[in-house]
Formats: sequence, C-alpha cells, structure tokens
Amino acid sequence: MITAPLLLMTVLLPLASLILALSPRWQKIYRYSLPLLPVPAIVAGLTVELHNWLEMPWLLMGGTWGLDELRQSFLLLTSILWATAGIFAVGYLNTRKLRAFCVFWALTLSGNLGLIISVDLASFYSFFAVMTFAAYGLVVHEGSDEANRAGRVYLAMAVAGEMALLTGLLMAAQHADSVLLTELPAAIAESERSWLIVALLVAGFGVKAGLPFLHFWLPLAHPVAPTPASAVLSGAMIKAGLLGWLVTLPFGELALPAWGNTLVVLGATGAIGGAMLGLKQVRPKTILAYSSISQMGLITLMVGAAMANTSQAATLLSVIALYALHHGLAKGCLFLSTAVELPTERRFRWILCLLIGLPGLSLAGLPFTSGAAAKFAMKDALKPEQYDFSMADYLPLVMSAGAVATMLLIWRFLWALSRSVGTGRNHRFKSLGWMAAMACSMVAFWFLPGAGSGTGHAWFVLTPSESWSLIWPIMLATGIAVAWWIARGRNGSWFQC
Amino acid sequence: MTLLLMAGLLFTPLAWAVLTLLAGFRRGRGITWLGIVIQVLVSLALWAVVAGEGGFQYPLGGWQAPLGIELRVDGLAVTFVLLTALVAAASGLHAGFYLDPDKQWHRYFWPLFWFLWAGLNVVWLGNDLFNLYVGLELISLSAVGLVALGGQAEALRAAIRYLMAALLGSLAYLLGVALFYGQFGSLSLSGIAFALSHGSAQGAAGFALILMLFGLALKTALYPMHWWLPPAHGIARSPVSALLSALVVKGSFYIAARLWLELEAPLGSLALAQLLGILGSIAVFWGGWQALRQPKLKQVVAYSSVAQIGYLFLLFPLTWNTTEAVALQAQQAMTLQVISHALAKAAMFLSAGNLILSVGSNRVNALAGVSHFLPFSLFSFGLAGVSLMGLPPTGGFAAKWLFLQASLATGQWWWLVVLVGGGLLSAAYVFRVYRASFVEDSNIDHFFHPARRLEIIPMVLALLSLGLGLIAEPVLSVMALVFANGEGT
Amino acid sequence: MTASALLPVFALMTSLTAAIIIFTLPEQKHRLRTVVNLTAALLKLLLVGLMIWGVFQGREYGVSFTMVPGVDFVLRADALAMLFAGLSAALWLLTTVYAVGYLEGSPNRSRFFGFFSLCVASTMGIALAGNLFTFFLFYEMLTLSTYPLVVHRGTQQALRAGRTYIIYTLTGGAVLLLGISLLHSFAGDLPFRPGGHFAGIGPDLQAPLSIVFVILIAGLGVKAAIVPLHGWLPTAMVAPAPVSALLHAVAVVKAGAFGIVRVVFEIYGLETANALGLLSGLAAIAAFTIVYGSVRALSQSDLKRRLAFSTVSQVSYIILGLCLLGPVGVAGGLVHLVHQGVMKITLFFCAGNYAETLGIHRIDELDGAGRRMPATSVAFTLAAFGMIGTPPLAGFITKWTMGTGALATGMDWVIAVLVVSSLLNAAYFLPVLNRIWFREQKDPWTEERQWGRFETSAWLLWPPLVTAAFLVLAGVLASASFSPLGWVELIVAREVGP
Repeated sequence: MITAPLLLMTVLLPLASLILALSPRWQKIYRYSLPLLPVPAIVAGLTVELHNWLEMPWLLMGGTWGLDELRQSFLLLTSILWATAGIFAVGYLNTRKLRAFCVFWALTLSGNLGLIISVDLASFYSFFAVMTFAAYGLVVHEGSDEANRAGRVYLAMAVAGEMALLTGLLMAAQHADSVLLTELPAAIAESERSWLIVALLVAGFGVKAGLPFLHFWLPLAHPVAPTPASAVLSGAMIKAGLLGWLVTLPFGELALPAWGNTLVVLGATGAIGGAMLGLKQVRPKTILAYSSISQMGLITLMVGAAMANTSQAATLLSVIALYALHHGLAKGCLFLSTAVELPTERRFRWILCLLIGLPGLSLAGLPFTSGAAAKFAMKDALKPEQYDFSMADYLPLVMSAGAVATMLLIWRFLWALSRSVGTGRNHRFKSLGWMAAMACSMVAFWFLPGAGSGTGHAWFVLTPSESWSLIWPIMLATGIAVAWWIARGRNGSWFQC
Repeated sequence: MTLLLMAGLLFTPLAWAVLTLLAGFRRGRGITWLGIVIQVLVSLALWAVVAGEGGFQYPLGGWQAPLGIELRVDGLAVTFVLLTALVAAASGLHAGFYLDPDKQWHRYFWPLFWFLWAGLNVVWLGNDLFNLYVGLELISLSAVGLVALGGQAEALRAAIRYLMAALLGSLAYLLGVALFYGQFGSLSLSGIAFALSHGSAQGAAGFALILMLFGLALKTALYPMHWWLPPAHGIARSPVSALLSALVVKGSFYIAARLWLELEAPLGSLALAQLLGILGSIAVFWGGWQALRQPKLKQVVAYSSVAQIGYLFLLFPLTWNTTEAVALQAQQAMTLQVISHALAKAAMFLSAGNLILSVGSNRVNALAGVSHFLPFSLFSFGLAGVSLMGLPPTGGFAAKWLFLQASLATGQWWWLVVLVGGGLLSAAYVFRVYRASFVEDSNIDHFFHPARRLEIIPMVLALLSLGLGLIAEPVLSVMALVFANGEGT
Repeated sequence: MTASALLPVFALMTSLTAAIIIFTLPEQKHRLRTVVNLTAALLKLLLVGLMIWGVFQGREYGVSFTMVPGVDFVLRADALAMLFAGLSAALWLLTTVYAVGYLEGSPNRSRFFGFFSLCVASTMGIALAGNLFTFFLFYEMLTLSTYPLVVHRGTQQALRAGRTYIIYTLTGGAVLLLGISLLHSFAGDLPFRPGGHFAGIGPDLQAPLSIVFVILIAGLGVKAAIVPLHGWLPTAMVAPAPVSALLHAVAVVKAGAFGIVRVVFEIYGLETANALGLLSGLAAIAAFTIVYGSVRALSQSDLKRRLAFSTVSQVSYIILGLCLLGPVGVAGGLVHLVHQGVMKITLFFCAGNYAETLGIHRIDELDGAGRRMPATSVAFTLAAFGMIGTPPLAGFITKWTMGTGALATGMDWVIAVLVVSSLLNAAYFLPVLNRIWFREQKDPWTEERQWGRFETSAWLLWPPLVTAAFLVLAGVLASASFSPLGWVELIVAREVGP
C-alpha cells in the first residue's frame, strides 16, 4: 500500500531539498535538514514490502522501482550511514560554501539511494551517474589544489567507468530485449559475447568499487573530501559499485571459473596490496581509504567465488550483503572519528579513545562485533571444499592474510590519528552524529533485516575455536605493530593519551 | 471588342507620343499617366481575351496576309505586351517623380518613352520581317534618345556608341530581310517557313539567317558584342536604364528567337546553335565577373544584364533538333527568363536609382551602413537580386529549373555548369551589395529617405518577379497557346 | 480550402506576416514589435499544436499546386514534419523572448526581427515541404534570411563570417539543385513518401541513383555541417547569441539534417538506399564527423567556438542514426533532432547570458561564474551533461536508443563511436563546468552589469531555464507518449514499419 510513496519519497525528498538552495537565507535551514533527507529511505528499508515493484512506464525507458532482500540491505546501510553522516555534517560544516555542499550532498544522496531502489536499467544507470557526478562536488569541496587534482583523477576515471558501463549495459539490454535489471543476468549468460559484457561490467563498476588497478582515484579522493562526505564515499558509495556487480553479473546462471579466478586474484591483490600501500601512509583518512580498498578486495573474493560457482551464488550474495553492511557502517564511524576532537579533560579521553578504536577492531573481526559476524559468515561461505575453480584453495590463506593486514592497518590508522588529533569541544551535532554512527555499527547492526539472514547461525554464540580463528590474526597484527613501534622507538604514539 | 483593343494597343502610344511632344514636362507627365492607365487596361483586357479564347491572327485594317499587315496575337505576344505594360508603367510612373522637371531636356522623355512603347508592341505582335524591322528601329532610336537624356558628355558618348551598335545591327538584319525577300518573295515569317518546308534553295537563306541573328545579337548585347551596353545602361537615368535593360534588349532577342524557332529546322545547324549557346555561356560568366568588379552600383546592375541575357541564348542549342517536349521546356524557360529578368532588372535599376538618391553617391561602397536605416529600396534591390541569383521561388529560379531539365533531357550536361555556376556568380555580385549595406563601422548618421511612391514602385516589380515562380504554371499555360497556334501555319 | 489545407498555410503565414509587419514598423516601436513577435510565435505554436494533435489522430494536412510545369508546390504535415515543426515553433517562441532581452538597447532591431521571422518561416516551410522541390525552395529562403542575421553586428569579422557562410551555403544549395534536377530528369516530381520511390529498381538505374544520392547529400551536407563541409559553422558563431542559438539548434544545421532524413527515408527509402550501398559510406562520414568535431572542440578557447564544433559533432548523430537501418537506431537518430536542438539552444542561450551580463567570451574567463549567475549556470550544466549523454537527460536517451539500434543490426562499431564521442564531450565540457562551479573568480568581470533583480535580465534568464527543464523532462519522461521519443516512435512506426 505504502510502497509507492515511500519509494518515491526516498529519491524525491533529497531532490526536493534543492529548493532550499534557491535563497542564501535558507541555508541554515538546509544545513539542519541534512540528517532528515535519508529518513524516508530508512523507513522504506524497514517497512516496504519486498518484491513489490512500483511500475512507472513513462519514466525513461520504462521505470521499475522496488526492493528485494539485497536491495533492502544496501538501502538500509546507505540511508543509515547518510543519516548519521548528515547529523555529523550539521556540526562539522562551517558557513563557507555551505550551500554548495548541501546541494552536492543532496544530489549525491538521491543518486545513491535511487540506484539501490532501481530495478530497471535506465533508472539505475541514471542514479548511478547522478551520484558519480555530484560526488565530484563533494570531493573538490575544500577547493585546495590537492582536492582539485583528486577531483580530476576521480572524474576522469569515473567517466571512463561510465562509458564501460554504458557499453556493457547496452549490449546486455539489447540481448535481453528488456530494461529490467532482473532480466540481465540470464541474458548475459546466454549471450555469445558474455565474456566481453562481463568484462565491461566488472571494469565499469570496479572503478567505483575500488578494484585494484582501477582504484587510483580512491585514495586521492576519499581523504580530501570533507569528513562526512568521506564517510559516505567510503562507506556507502563504494558499495554502489558492488551492488552494480551483484545485480548485473550472471550469478547463479553461468559458471565462469575464469572470471572467478581473475576476481579472486584481483581481490587478493586488493586485500593485501591495498593494506600494504596503506601502511605507508601517514594521514588517517588516506589510511582508511586504503583500508576500504583492502576490505573491498575481500568482498571481491566472494564475488569471484560466486562467479565461479552457480550453486553457492545465492548464499554468497547474502554474505556479501552482510559484509557490505558491516563494512559500510564501521568505515563510516572510522572516517567520522578523524574529525572528532578529544575532550580536554584527561579522564574522558580513554573512553573516547576506546570508542574510536572499536569500529577498527570490528573491521578486524573482534568477536561480538559486526565484523565477527561478517568475517565468520565469509569464512563459512568460502570453504574451499565447496568450490572447484583453481584459485579456491588459496581462499583461506588470503582471508587470514587479509585479516592480519586489516588489523595492522587499523593500528597504523590509530597511530596516525593520535598524531593528528586535536583537543577541544565538539559541536553538539558532531558528537551526536558520531555517537549515532557508532550505535548503528555496534548495536543497530544486529537488528537490521540483512544481518539475520545468511546461514542462520547465531553470531554472538561463538565456540572457542571459532573465536580463536577470529582472534589470532588480531593478536598477530598487534604483535607486529608493537614490535614495529618498539623498533622505531619513536615517541608520540597512541599510548600517549 | 478586339478591334478596339488592338487599336488601343497600337495607336495610343503613337498618339501619346505626339501629344507629349507638344507639352512640357509637367503636362506631359499628366498626359502620360492617363495613357499608361489606358495601355495597362488594354493590355490586361487583351491578355484576358487570349487567355480565354486562344490566340488569333489579326489583319490590320482588314487586309489579309500577303498584302496587308497581319499581326500575330497569340499567348506569348500578349504576355509580353502585358509585361511591357507593367514595366513601362512602372518606369513611367517612377520617371515622373524621379526626373527633375526643371531640366529643359527632360520633357523629351515622354515622347521617346511612348515611341519606345509603340515599337515594343509592334515587335511583340509583328508577323512579318519588315514590320519587325520597323519596330526594331523605333525601339533603337528612341532608346538612344533616352540614353542621351542623361545630359552629361559621358551620356552622349554612350548614346553615340549605342547608336553605332544599333545601326550596325539593323543593317545586318535588313540585309538578311532583303536576302529572304529576294529568295522567297515573302516577308511573312510563316510564309518563308512554308516555302522552306517545300524544299526551296538553302544556301543564301542560311546566310541570311546568320546575318539576321548576328544583327539581333548585337542589339541584344550578346558577348562579345556587349561593349555598348554597360556604358549606356549605366549612365542613363534610372527609369531609362530600367526600360532599356528590362525591355529593349528583349525586343531584339524576341525577334531572334522567333526567327530561330520558325527556321531552325531547315536552316539551323548544330554548330550555329552551339555557338550561340557558348557565347551565351561566356556572357554569363564574363558579365557576372565584371559585375563583381564594378565600383559603381549601376554598372554592377548593367553588367548583370549582360550575364542574364546570356542565359537566354541557351534557347538555341536546346531547341535545335530536339524533341517537342524539350523544345517546349526550353521555350518556356526562355520566356520565364525574359519576364523575370525584365521585372527584376527594372526593380533593380529603379531601386538602385533610389539608393543613389539616398546616399548621394553612385559607388557601391557608399552604401556602407545603410541597412541600418532599413531603406525600402535596398529591400527591393535584394528581392530582385534573389531572382537574378535564380533562387526559389522567383521566376528566375523557375526559368533556371526548366533550362536545367531541358539540358538534362537532351544530354547537353555542359549547360548545367553554366546554369549552376552563373547562379553562384550572380549571388556573388548581389551579395557584394548586401554586404556593403551591412557594414557598421562607417559613421553615416544621416540618410535621405526618398518619397514613398518612388520606393513602392520597384518593390511591386520585385515582388512580381519573386512571385512569378509560384504562378509560373498559369502564366506559362497562357503562353503555351502560342505554340499550339503559331506553329505549322 | 478546408481546414486541412489551411492549417499548414497558416502556420507558414504567421511568421511571414510577422516579418512583413515588423519590417514596416519604425525602429522605435519596440513594444509593439515585441507584441507582434510574441503573438505570432504563440499563434504558431498553437497552430502547430493543433496539427500535431491532428496528425496523432491520423489526419493529414496538405495543400499543393503546380508551380512550374512538372513540379508541384506541396505543403504537407505528416508526423516527421511535425517533429521538426514542433521543435522550431517551440524554440522560436523562446528565442524570440531571448532575443528581445538580448537586443535591448541595441540598434537595427527592426531589421533583426524581420529577418528572424523570415528565417523561422523558412524553417517551418522546410518542415512542411512535401517534395524535394518545395523543400529546396525554403532551404534557399533560409540561406538568404539568415545572412542578415549572421552579419547583424556589421563588424569586419561578422562580414567575413557572413561571406564564408554564404559561399558555403549557396554553393551547397547549387549542388542540391543539381541533384534535384538530375533526379527529376529521370524520375519526375517525387513527393516525400514513406518507404521512398525506388523500391525494386532495375540495375540500369542503380548507378545514376547512387550518383544523385551523393550529390544530394553533398548539397545538404553543407548545412548539416558534415566534415569536410562544415567550415562555415564555427565562423558563423560571431553572430549574436540568439542567432547562433537558432542556427545551431533549429534552423540551419537542422535543415540540412532534416533534408538528409527526407531524402533517405522518403525519396530513396531506407531499404533501397542500403541496398545501393550508400548508407555505409554515409555512416562512415557521419562517424568521422562526430569524432572530428569533438576533437576540434577540445582545443577551442572561445566558448561559442567550442559549442560550434560541438554542433558539428552532434548533428552527425542524426545522420548516423539513419544509417543504423533498424527502427530503433533510426528512432535514436531522429529523436536527436529534437534533443540536440534543445540542448544546444540552452548552451548558446547561456553563453549569451555570460557574454551579455559579465562580458565573458573565453572559457578561461568563466572562473567563478556559477556563483554570480547560478541559474544560468545550472541550465548550462544540465545541457552540457546532456551533450555528454549522462542519464537521465535527453542526450542519454539518444545514445541509448542509437546504441541499442546499432547492436540490433550488428553495427557494433557504432558503440565505439558513441563512447569515444561521449568521452570527448566529457573532456571538453567538464573542464568548463569545473571552471564555472569550482574555481574562484580571478579578475573582476570587465563588463559586468546589473540587470533587474535577477542575475540577469528576466528575458534572458527564462528561456534557458525552460529549455533546460525541457531537456530534463525529455530524458526523464522519455517513455511518455508525447515525449520526443514517443513521437519519434510514432514516426518510425509509420515510416519504417515495426
């Protein structure tokens, strides 16, 4: 009943908010309305009946919007992250170029939400493009030379990606003779040029998803944006590329072991290489950006496995959604923390320090965090014996290495943050936003519809062996970090606070 | 009814010539305007009669052909009569306002004007060679007189040159007439054609035809015999130039075309036809090129006449030894070209006169910036130019189109080059004038607007030539009556 | 005369009458002239709207009479005609509004608006022409009536541009005339007819038909600015902005493209033209033009010049679309007739606004213009993204439709052309947008003027906003039945068959 208005509002509310940009007098209102923009999306994600398509035949090439399990999970992740980042932004922003920021924020948001609820190709591609181009405004918002350079690289790669997508989608749609995304995978599977189409789609979405060798823009662009924007870039928008893969590639239709191998190799490269490069960075946000590449690399492993194996595809897809949910929320928190000021009174500091570190540990898979749930589900789903493509045997190794690398990177981040963090009072909304993000990542995660799906395992009831498998990489990484810290003998580390 | 009309047509001009000879300029003007009204009405009525009932032979004074003068009143003739009435009326009206009444010699404009008109009507309607000669002489002499009206020494020089050419042409023509008469004992065109078709001797007759065509081409200013035209048309007063370019040269051409159409089968040859066509083509390019280079506005228009006349001569190759349909197309093209050029050129000369009056100089460059004042005359000039360029929907375009079709149908593709290239060249010189008028960096701030009545007349003519293409079909259908009636008799 | 005959004639006469009235009005009667202009434009829009409705219902409007023996003057309103007529009527109204504001206080307005109306009358004639001959008539009339607009400023530069323009277009016209008369000489007077006239011709006619096709396309290609016949277009951008807008969007280049559409569809017939092997050559030229225009646009530093080269590139989309044979590809090409018009007119309006309000002509002067003129800049941005082919704007619909069509007929290389062109479009538009929105203003604008309470005169502001809104709607609502795409699909159903 209520599906249609909610879905429409999801997109239209952010778009309608552009009216507030018409007059400079309204910019204060605009600023305070930022957190409200994703609210219809959250409501939609929680309440809308799944698989109930909203048909709009007059829209573009014929529009169809709606939610299924996958989209629901992504929608919730995206809208929650945007909402918390929005709250944070209220406190974070100063009045300089405020209107411009709000406009690009709202546009990017509508694109990001819209592409998730789109079931037809044209809407999906449209929202994808809106998000891509509007995000440029967020990237270059600071106006520094560095930001401009990052913006240029971002835009060049984004446009190239769009073109790859256009070509791939065109070929797929022509073959499917339909503009429904749901029809595409089957059509691609049947097409005699499936190899080319898959290549184009993987590359096209890969730009957004930070696939290795297509990632160059990511460590440049994510850090230079204003912090709330970085959070959504790394937490939510990067997932748009992932979602693109999930809805277009022929999972479960066609076993493509060659692609499985390729993606696994790429994923491993991303997971480990990204972390390696990240370790060399000194700026917290850059480190986080590399961490995103690394995490996306892990997800790519699952995508590759799903490509190679038709029977596991459905399971993997839900695990991917879970992982994406976890990573998005956690990464959002981490990014927001980079702009949090420590309190001047020493006794509150340790709480704050702990809270800042918590999402990082969650990323590394600390038991009883969302990361543990995601990691465990991934390990479960990627057991080599279920697969028969050649790279399958290396999956556990890569995952373990990835986990160690993740934790190392988190230590590096915390170290870098400790050197750059300032003290002072936080704006009310800044604290509120950050706390909200934290709450979502730590608590609300468990209650979201996507989290419970998967294999039906109760995630916080872990056996010791299971716990151990999660904890040893953390311990190992911590050991390496401490060793390195002692070896460097440098002062001014994390423990100073 | 017909009697009245014919009498009106032929004798009004002569009577008015005499009347105006006796009056001064101002009174002559009044008398002339009355005459113009009569003439226009008579021409219209005659045209309506022929359009309704078809053409006829009209024995003057009731005497039949071999003895008396027989007039050929067919569709073509009445169309040209009507055309003459229109253009002459326009020029006459315009001259009445344009010429300075206080100059003594201007009073002779009126009688010369009427003699010219009379001569033209004789030529259009005449059916025997001597009648045509008389008409031709009447035209030539009054035209020379009109040129001399310019007054300056230069005008007199041009007039003398013109006179020489006209006399030489007449002489050649007369010689041809004499040769024909000696051989066939008849002066009637149809009589000669009849005799020829029954296998009489040809040698001298062929020479006679060539001689006559030469004389007429000289009077028509076909390249390379055009040397007299630009000075004469350029120096004459604008209404006079209009008359000369629009009508006078067409008179001699009309006779040449008549001769050719009647006699080409027995007497013409491929070489002659092609030669005339080629000379016409050269005229198109040469005239256009010269027009492009002239510094004076009226010289541009005068050279443009040389070029436009060139097109007419395509009639010869396109009717020689071709099918009936193609010949008909070529004739239609020719008549349309005559009409549209007459209207457009008259409009152009009259408006050029107005423009010169406005800016006080006869140089093209003096027009810099005048389009700023939106002069009506510039607009008329432009519209007339469109017709000269042969762009649709003008009569010039319709003519060009028919010429193109005829050339294609006979496989004489080389004329395409002339038709298309000539159009572009005329565009070049017309646009040169437009361009000058759009120049903005001159700082003229005054502009003399001539009287509206002076400006309306060329506009009407220009619009007629513009619209001719749209109504070409009905006009041609009246003209076609000639070929149904006139041939084979 | 019934209503069916009168409607096309009236549609033609509205602007013709307006032209005549304006020419006779004294220069100072600005208000009256504006009233006449706008009344005529609205009236025409109404008439065209009526005809569109009628054609949609399946009615045919037409009138014809014989001009020259063997040749008829035919006005006919079919679906294809209404596509172009609708575009020109709508954009005329907007351009008139714009021009009124643009020429505020400048001399020679009477002359300008007179020829402006004539120009639109010719465009309407081109749209409604029912055979090649009538088409040619208005085609040449268009040439003549645009010349005064191009040289309107009267500067040496403008006059030079005018000369280039007239040399190109008149020569093109002459070539076209040659082609038409050749065609006429062996096929007679050919009315435009869906499916063409030459289905199943014998082998003896093939060679001449092919030659005539090449001549016709060469003649039309001058106005359509197909490389290497495009030289006039970038020079002609010295004209005042409304003129450039009209020239690039509706009048001149579109006349050429529309002519090519008519020749390919309704004289030769798509099948026949393809069977003669003519379309692949045309496609190759169009593809080359698309890429060439974009490459040249990259290196232009003058905003209007860049836009002009962009036009060279974009118009060939229409031609390329025709060569895609299948109904879908053809629809893509045809719909671009409208889409390109709307997008390009928006860009030129905006370029004019920058020039008039801030004195900006070069791209590197645009820094920070978005802050000073946000509304104009939004319109410019939308149009530029449309040109790049970003969804959901109009340009995307074109690209998508053409791409699908190309794939359907196995012409995969077209995709490469589309992609390269989009990349190049992005490469020359995005830096401009970057300057407008994200650069700080460097030097104060030399000729800045305050103009009413908006960022610029309201007359100048609304037209680009309306067209920008239209190009968004044309994209977003592409599948609605009265969208350009919907109408084009109607045409294609009637012309090519399903």
